[in-house]
Amino acid sequence: MTLEYVPGDSLAHRLDPRTKLLVQIGFAAAAYAHTTPRGLAVLTLLAGGSLWAADGDPVDLWGYRFALPVLLAAPLVAGATLGTPWFRVARAETAALASYRVLLLLVVAAAYVRSTPVRDSRAAIHHTVPGRIGAFLGVGVALVFRFLPLLRRDLLAAREAVHVRGGDRLPVHERMRLIAVAGTNRAFGRADRLGTALAARCFAWNPTLPRLAFRRADYPVLALGAGLLATAVATTV
Amino acid sequence: MSTRTESVDLVGDEAATNLARAALFAALVGAFAYVTFPNPISPVSVTLQVLGVFLAGIYLGPVWGPAALVLYLAAGALGAPVFEGGSAGVGVLVGQSAGYLWSYPLAAGVVGAVVHRGATLRDPDAAGLATLVAAMVLGTVVIYALGVAGLALVLSLGPVEAVAVGAVAFLPAEALKIAAAVGIVRSDAIAAA
Repeated sequence: MTLEYVPGDSLAHRLDPRTKLLVQIGFAAAAYAHTTPRGLAVLTLLAGGSLWAADGDPVDLWGYRFALPVLLAAPLVAGATLGTPWFRVARAETAALASYRVLLLLVVAAAYVRSTPVRDSRAAIHHTVPGRIGAFLGVGVALVFRFLPLLRRDLLAAREAVHVRGGDRLPVHERMRLIAVAGTNRAFGRADRLGTALAARCFAWNPTLPRLAFRRADYPVLALGAGLLATAVATTV
Repeated sequence: MSTRTESVDLVGDEAATNLARAALFAALVGAFAYVTFPNPISPVSVTLQVLGVFLAGIYLGPVWGPAALVLYLAAGALGAPVFEGGSAGVGVLVGQSAGYLWSYPLAAGVVGAVVHRGATLRDPDAAGLATLVAAMVLGTVVIYALGVAGLALVLSLGPVEAVAVGAVAFLPAEALKIAAAVGIVRSDAIAAA
């Protein structure tokens, strides 16, 4: 199961995407500035609250299971030493807090992903990043969302084709080569057709995007994001 | 109801094709995250993402290759399931794999610059085997240097500990990806390049 946008009418769904991005940045800064048991306890409440505000539940976090081995191994590796005392609890504790901090960042990110449709994200990036770079990022991000499932299917088909032809007996780098060639050729083929289609349909640097506007609910959340950033800055300076 | 008139600022044909290629390559690197292979040396399986970074540098060059990977990072941050194991979100970009992810555009730029020796693209096969391998070894160095540094910073690890967690199990598999990329370039199998 992958983490993705789920339509809904929760508080987080109604917020402007820029507000949610600011909160994430503020949260990350605060998590790095206050990596203490007390700081992280407060941030745990906030992270849980953000997931709750997006109508999410802990099952959404299953998408991040691949991060767990490293996060679990880090405190063990940090604590272990060659020679007495073999395990330094204080070092392991520091690394465990750092690992936990990453987990909290992922929870807040999950709340954003769950509550923000692609169109809104695209508009947010287009409005926030100035000029053509913003337009490039906006349209590029939208295309990545659009084409990812197709390319995944292309790769799956290539993989099955290699498998049924007895490709499992080939060395690993040969199998990688076959699948990568199929995937890259499909991607280039799709890109060139898309490029022609875009040019034919008056592809412009200034497209019509959904209008974004801050609403009343946005202001307290914006203040929260700014406040988190300010506490981080105040601690670091 | 109010109406708005605005002139349309058209994107040129060449820029449209380059943009489409960069976006498709970004999606391809994301799709590569789902393809896992057994690692002959360690129990940790490998994905093809880094191969995608190499290929972006080789086939898109030192300008559009990094642009493609910037799109990959932006799309992932905004929720496209393109990071390891189909994860997404800003949190991943500031989490334990931050160093690896941020190094991708840089690595693609390095690979592209070495293979093409400048901003204009040439046939990658003309670069010669030694140049190709050197470009990718350099790219790998960039990815792991930043990746391990990021790991040490994010998880409060010492340098040796970070190498133990973040490089030892994965580094040998990079040789396989370099071999695969060389095979791809030499076989002349990429039609649209």
